[in-house]
Amino acid sequence: MPLTTYIDAITSALREEMARDERVFIIGEDVGAMGGVFKVTKGLQEEFGSDRVIDSPLAEGIIVSSSIGAAMAGMRPVPEIQFADFIAPAMDSIVEQAAKLRYRSAGTQTCPLTVRVCYGGGTGGGLYHSQTNTSWFIQTPGLMVVAPSSPYDAKGLLKAAIRNDDPVLFFEHKKLYRSIKEEVPADDYTVPLMKAAIKRKGSDVTAISHGYMLQLTLQAAEKMKEESGAEVAVIDLRTLAPLDKDTFLESVARTSRVVVVHEANRTLGIGAEVSAIIAEEAFDCLDAPVTRVTGPDIPAIPACPPLEKFYMPSVEKIVAALKRTLDY
Amino acid sequence: MTKPQSIKSPDHERQREDFDSRAPLGKTILRRLYSYMLKCRTVEERIRLLFRQGRFSGNYFAAVGQEATEVGATMDLLAEDTIAPSHRNFVTHIMKGTPLTLMFAHIFLRKDSPDQGRCAQAHCGYAPLNIITPASTIAAQLAIGTGVALANKMQKKASVVVALSGEGSTSLGLWHESLNFAGVHHLPIVFVLENNLWAESVPARLQSAVDDFSIKAQAYGIRGITVDGNDVVAVYRASQDAIRRARGGDGPTLIECKTYRWYGHSEIDPAKYRTVEELEYWKSRDPIPAMERYLQQRGSWAESWKEELLAEFDKEIDDAIEFAEKSPYPDSEEALDHVFSFSIRERELNRKVWAPQISSSE
Ligand SMILES: Cc1ncc(C[n+]2csc(CCOP(=O)(O)OP(=O)(O)O)c2C)c(N)n1
Ligand SMILES: [Mg+2]
Repeated sequence: MPLTTYIDAITSALREEMARDERVFIIGEDVGAMGGVFKVTKGLQEEFGSDRVIDSPLAEGIIVSSSIGAAMAGMRPVPEIQFADFIAPAMDSIVEQAAKLRYRSAGTQTCPLTVRVCYGGGTGGGLYHSQTNTSWFIQTPGLMVVAPSSPYDAKGLLKAAIRNDDPVLFFEHKKLYRSIKEEVPADDYTVPLMKAAIKRKGSDVTAISHGYMLQLTLQAAEKMKEESGAEVAVIDLRTLAPLDKDTFLESVARTSRVVVVHEANRTLGIGAEVSAIIAEEAFDCLDAPVTRVTGPDIPAIPACPPLEKFYMPSVEKIVAALKRTLDY
Repeated sequence: MTKPQSIKSPDHERQREDFDSRAPLGKTILRRLYSYMLKCRTVEERIRLLFRQGRFSGNYFAAVGQEATEVGATMDLLAEDTIAPSHRNFVTHIMKGTPLTLMFAHIFLRKDSPDQGRCAQAHCGYAPLNIITPASTIAAQLAIGTGVALANKMQKKASVVVALSGEGSTSLGLWHESLNFAGVHHLPIVFVLENNLWAESVPARLQSAVDDFSIKAQAYGIRGITVDGNDVVAVYRASQDAIRRARGGDGPTLIECKTYRWYGHSEIDPAKYRTVEELEYWKSRDPIPAMERYLQQRGSWAESWKEELLAEFDKEIDDAIEFAEKSPYPDSEEALDHVFSFSIRERELNRKVWAPQISSSE
């Protein structure tokens, strides 16, 4: 199996799905001739033509809404939102249209589309090129929200999302695109949606995360092992909505201690929901309060290094939280 | 300072003139246009009566007065063609062939409604006939309709989309994004703009500084025409022309139909914001008697025919109401259905509680 980057894994998922199913098409800003600002769709327009890799007008609302209509009429669109920070113009399309169409038509009209969204900080992108706004969509039933942490998962989950009959928001962390490599099969495979993964086994404390933060959490777990011998179980949520509760509750029942790590703002981030579920459904299992390591409640990630550093969860911050939880 | 002149290019004028050629329509078509208008009015007046009698809870947004536009724009669509309706276009279901029984089940919010009691009266779709179930968000249906047209083009189908909205919708970004995208991709779609002079209490002159909204089409490189929306023949001819062009790969058209709604924005709006004179003027331009006179001139009219039609419609409506009132409400827990492609009942209704697990040595 070849070692593959996260970005190449996503590109191959797109290429393979387009080759497999002629209903699949891509639409977005700069996705065609340029191959996307991060080059995720590089080469696809040459391969599949400009009818299937559409350079759209600069208008997120119609990028998503035209995809909804096309999906209703039998296509499998994969629209791209260049930066999560610019998804707001498509907000009505996503939360009022895509999320509600199946419901409002009692299942008779559906829109199987996969909106790829590039998100996340840590690259000095500043206030408008760094945002993690997954929480906006987690609160919208009818949408599936996926945020892979590794090349293998990114490819398998994207293929599963494209084949799925529900609207999916697929969050790709820009910091992961080229920073990690993993063995990724060149053949067809999918990774199940709505299924969390145990990325590291451990009996002392459960760390729950996803996306780029999952990689930092794994590093923190390794550090804990080296420094104190503590065994940290690491759960990758992978799909943030609808949430696979059983995988993390099962781990919490064994470790009785929990740390949740995410890049989104603290208030009503996925950590809030995970904590509430643990409080409701596994209260008797806990030996320590649930601890969160998250972005603070500030409007966005500032550009200059010390301010961005303050925002971002880090290996050090995660280690500190794990220690606090273990020492409680 | 003088008011800026409205920007009408020669092209715009020419398009209006082109359309003005007066080849006559056959008697059968004229009579069908008339009987559909009469049916739409009869159905809506009955719904309004049911509302006043308190027979259903909710609200209704009647297009009474606008029948020439509703009928003219949507008559003779094929089953594969799509209608993208707004809150004002319930009667376009009649034009597409949705059974009245289902329409009234929708009014009564029953299980037999196409959406099984989910949407309010104003928002009604019907998948078997490709009527998009609209959201309440103004202009949203235009953008989704644009996407359907994109798929039709990609799939090389000859189907068209007729997307309807009021003049208020033209102020929203998505209205412009839709026309722009349809223009760029030369999509098989007809945007029917019902300019009924009011968006709730806001007059058209506060929506836009243009006189004819169709001029906005020029900004998107598509055809735009304005027609008398109370002249069913004019609306039908303009629409058929646009539909024929769209079907033939000749791209989108914006048709502005100038018309007027007789009643308030909805059944709970007394419409105090407009003058009696304005209403009287538009009532004097009622499209239904106008068509009666037109048919009379052509020797195709008999009062007895109208009475036969009305008797037939009333019977069909009575039967539909009986069906709808007998239709049950859905079970409460059906609220959990159709959220995703899989059922969420189990996860919503049965929560498991976890106990600590004595960790076996790993
Ligand atoms: C985005 C949005 N804003 C506000 C409303 C509330 N609203 C419903 S209908 C309406 C007026 C619509 O006027 P127009 O587009 O002219 O259509 P008409 O009712 O005249 O047919 C308003 C303000 C809405 N449904 N959607
Ligand atoms: Mg209006």
